[in-house]
Amino acid sequence: MSIQNLNTFDPFADAIKGSDDDVQDGLVHIRIQQRNGRKTLTTVQGLSSEYDLKKIVRACKKEFACNGTVIEHPEYGEVLQLQGDQRENICQWLTKSGLAKPDQLKVHGF
Amino acid sequence: MTEEDAMFDPKLTKKKKKKKTGFDLDAAIADSGNVGMDASENSKAEKENMEVDPAPIEDDEALDLESFGKKKKKKKKFNLEELEAALPETKKEENNDNQVEENEVDEIDLNLDFTKEKKKKKKKKDLEELIEDRKENENNENEEPSQWVGSDRDYTYDELLARVFNIMKEKNPDMVAGKKQKFVMRPPQVVRIGTKKTSFSNFTEICKTLHRQPKHLLDFLLAELGTSGSVDGNSQLIIKGRFQQKQIENVLRRYIKEYVTCHTCRSPDTILQKDTRLFFLQCETCGSRCSVASIKSGFQAVTGKRAAIRAKNA
Ligand SMILES: [Zn+2]
Repeated sequence: MSIQNLNTFDPFADAIKGSDDDVQDGLVHIRIQQRNGRKTLTTVQGLSSEYDLKKIVRACKKEFACNGTVIEHPEYGEVLQLQGDQRENICQWLTKSGLAKPDQLKVHGF
Repeated sequence: MTEEDAMFDPKLTKKKKKKKTGFDLDAAIADSGNVGMDASENSKAEKENMEVDPAPIEDDEALDLESFGKKKKKKKKFNLEELEAALPETKKEENNDNQVEENEVDEIDLNLDFTKEKKKKKKKKDLEELIEDRKENENNENEEPSQWVGSDRDYTYDELLARVFNIMKEKNPDMVAGKKQKFVMRPPQVVRIGTKKTSFSNFTEICKTLHRQPKHLLDFLLAELGTSGSVDGNSQLIIKGRFQQKQIENVLRRYIKEYVTCHTCRSPDTILQKDTRLFFLQCETCGSRCSVASIKSGFQAVTGKRAAIRAKNA
């Protein structure tokens, strides 16, 4: 449901992204980091600035039942940060919602 | 001369000539004695070498055949006599020597067939049996793709294909068709140190087997794992965080895929060169050269104690 809401919010997202590909490398880096103990953190870097990251994180939090936030980074722009290992979830969700193509996703980590 | 002969490369001309003389001889022997005389002079030494000694007239003819344009055949004949058992191997060896001119060999074989039949009639020795054995061998070989060689018909695609594969197999005995060389590597030895660190004890050894700078692999590992670490005095890698061998293996596999094996032919025989800030992977097997992704750790979330960081920065 939230996915459809997103799509209706910006029907030109894909078109904008297509033209945006020329500017940025188009790759979305999905990484995992260890915290203390068994806790982990997933970061999503490289989503187009045309997207409303705040809305995306809100949808993800609900969908994956985890906490998350958007971090503004001077070099990497807005970065999505989610608690736990959400790498598979976020990959599926990004492709399903049409925000990124599978070959644009680069998953790092172990 | 058949059309095929004309189509094959000019190197053949030498052989063609020989062949021709051979044929001419066959015809000429019947009436002219001159050629025979020359030949016998040339081949006096050979005559001595020959243990088989048939009647004089026959001998002349046999020598003609041998000395003119058929050195190879003669050699083979000695092999025949001396190394009966080892014959198939020796023949193979000869073929290997002449691989490039494989068609030549085939032509010569055909010639041999002619001469042999003559000899068979003249010399009634054990040779006959040997020759017959050999002919069988030859026939077996001729049954392979080069059947059209020496005939007037066109070759088919399948025959050419079989031929090229045979040449490839002969030239690269290691390469079994369709099977790629497997890249065998010892697994990483990963042990946990305490609760927060992991030791990768054969890190340096793996760098050596991969022929990569330890720093390069280290940068990649740490960037991928999103952590920090260093090589200690025992040349083992200490990584912050808890990692299992399987996880390190996964990262290593990705490293090998991106930075070790050739992107074109997958050969692990490659060199990683740095050229104006970019890394290039140069393949020693196929010669391809392509740029590889630079190692970036990218965004790093703050995971430590914020208070400590604040204190450090302040
Ligand atoms: Zn290659």
